[in-house]
Amino acid sequence: MLSYKFDWSIILTGQYHDWLVSGLKVTLQLSVAGIILSFLLGLVVAVMRMSHLKVFRWSACVFLEFTRNTPLLVQIFFWYFGSYKLLPTVVNEWLNSTSFEFAAGLIALTIYTSAFIAEDIRSGVLSIPKEQMEAAQSSGFSYLRAMQFIILPQAVRITVPPLVNQFLNLAKNSSLAMTIGVMELTYQARQVESYTFKGFEAFTAATLVYLAISIIITFLVDQYNERVLKLHKAA
Amino acid sequence: MIHFTDVNKWFGPLHVLNSINLHVKQGEVVVVCGPSGSGKSTLIRTINQLEAINNGTLIVDGMDLSDRKTDINKLRAEIGFVFQQFNLYPHLSVINNITLAPIKLRNLSRKDAEEQAMQLLTRVDLAEKRDAYPAQLSGGQQQRVAIARGLAMKPRIMLFDEPTSALDPEMIGEVLAVMQDLAKSGMTMVVVTHEMGFAREVAHQVVFMDAGTILEEAPPADFFCNPQHDRAKQFLNQLLTPMHGALCS
Ligand SMILES: Nc1ncnc2c1ncn2[C@@H]1O[C@H](COP(=O)(O)OP(=O)(O)O)[C@@H](O)[C@H]1O
Ligand SMILES: [Mg+2]
Repeated sequence: MLSYKFDWSIILTGQYHDWLVSGLKVTLQLSVAGIILSFLLGLVVAVMRMSHLKVFRWSACVFLEFTRNTPLLVQIFFWYFGSYKLLPTVVNEWLNSTSFEFAAGLIALTIYTSAFIAEDIRSGVLSIPKEQMEAAQSSGFSYLRAMQFIILPQAVRITVPPLVNQFLNLAKNSSLAMTIGVMELTYQARQVESYTFKGFEAFTAATLVYLAISIIITFLVDQYNERVLKLHKAA
Repeated sequence: MIHFTDVNKWFGPLHVLNSINLHVKQGEVVVVCGPSGSGKSTLIRTINQLEAINNGTLIVDGMDLSDRKTDINKLRAEIGFVFQQFNLYPHLSVINNITLAPIKLRNLSRKDAEEQAMQLLTRVDLAEKRDAYPAQLSGGQQQRVAIARGLAMKPRIMLFDEPTSALDPEMIGEVLAVMQDLAKSGMTMVVVTHEMGFAREVAHQVVFMDAGTILEEAPPADFFCNPQHDRAKQFLNQLLTPMHGALCS
């Protein structure tokens, strides 16, 4: 190891640099698509979890228990290796027509993250004073429409900071998708390492990129808290 | 307009409304007073079904509240409710607080809803606050916006549950003035309040509640000059010893 020569140039320009950049792109694609989809799914699960109907509440609970209490890696493998037997042919054909690894990784990350988001949204809703629901219902809004126009918009605003946290987790968790061959940032860093034996440089670069994403996002959340939440908070 | 006949309600073992009989005519202003915990809020909240009654009949604007076929959301749209704590929607600007229900529930166009909202804001003297958020307003201003929000649905009845109790003293007057205006315009109103000056000036009937029962119901002159029950006398004395004379004249 003493003879190891640092060579930062390989990650700053050239082919290996391009590999890392394309890995970053895939990581961002996974994270952005994942956070949008898992937000939508999480919203549905949260509403079901709070429904007056037992069937909905119960299915939501089962979903939450399963997804939160099994390792993400197992879920990724499940969707990659196991989903064929479960999914209708049309879906499988669609998956094959795109990148199957990417799709399986995205599905697994989406489902896993949506469980946490659903609970974030639910605690957001529970933190809205019950008087808001009373005020809305007094104006003639039904329970569901009050949720839609008055409660959820407030809950989601409160949920933005934890949601961004979930986005960061997602960005980091997406590195697990390399195990099924998704060519995201960690996968590419690994590739660079095996071609050049410059593992230190490659993984340092990957680490700094993950860190940069976190710092930028955290900064944006602080700005959001400062500007938006303060203005909208209950008087 | 509002008819309670032998209405009872329990919270567990607590008999919070005890054989209530009360009739409010169209255009009438009824002030409800009584010691804390006597059931005033519960009474006024049954009128728009924020609380359900256990037995008896309650007919509001021709609709029987114990009839399961009554469309409760439709009834509530006809009744404005003003809360002690205002309960404006904190994520919406003043104008959007007022236009939300008319747009979503009455299918008004945004333009018409905003026009109507501006008229109401002018009426409560807050036209310049149209784009402010509730957190940027004083308590008195928030309560006036809340009244405008209630009026935006063109209600046939307005209910007020201690609308000035959460306000600093210097803001009480501005809210009472708006309510007095509203009463003059012929609105049917039920007002839970300890503002006895308002009751004397504006109310047609004053209702005194104690421990879930209506002990007295009388025009303000009779209620203030000649209360029948000891509990009512006590209550008045505690509340307004210094100005009792002024109220009875
Ligand atoms: N949701 C509730 N559950 C149980 N008890 C309640 C509830 N709301 C009010 N009470 C009780 O009912 C009584 C009457 O309350 P309320 O109508 O708020 O009185 P007031 O408005 O005259 O102060 C009080 O003893 C109060 O503690
Ligand atoms: Mg009360």
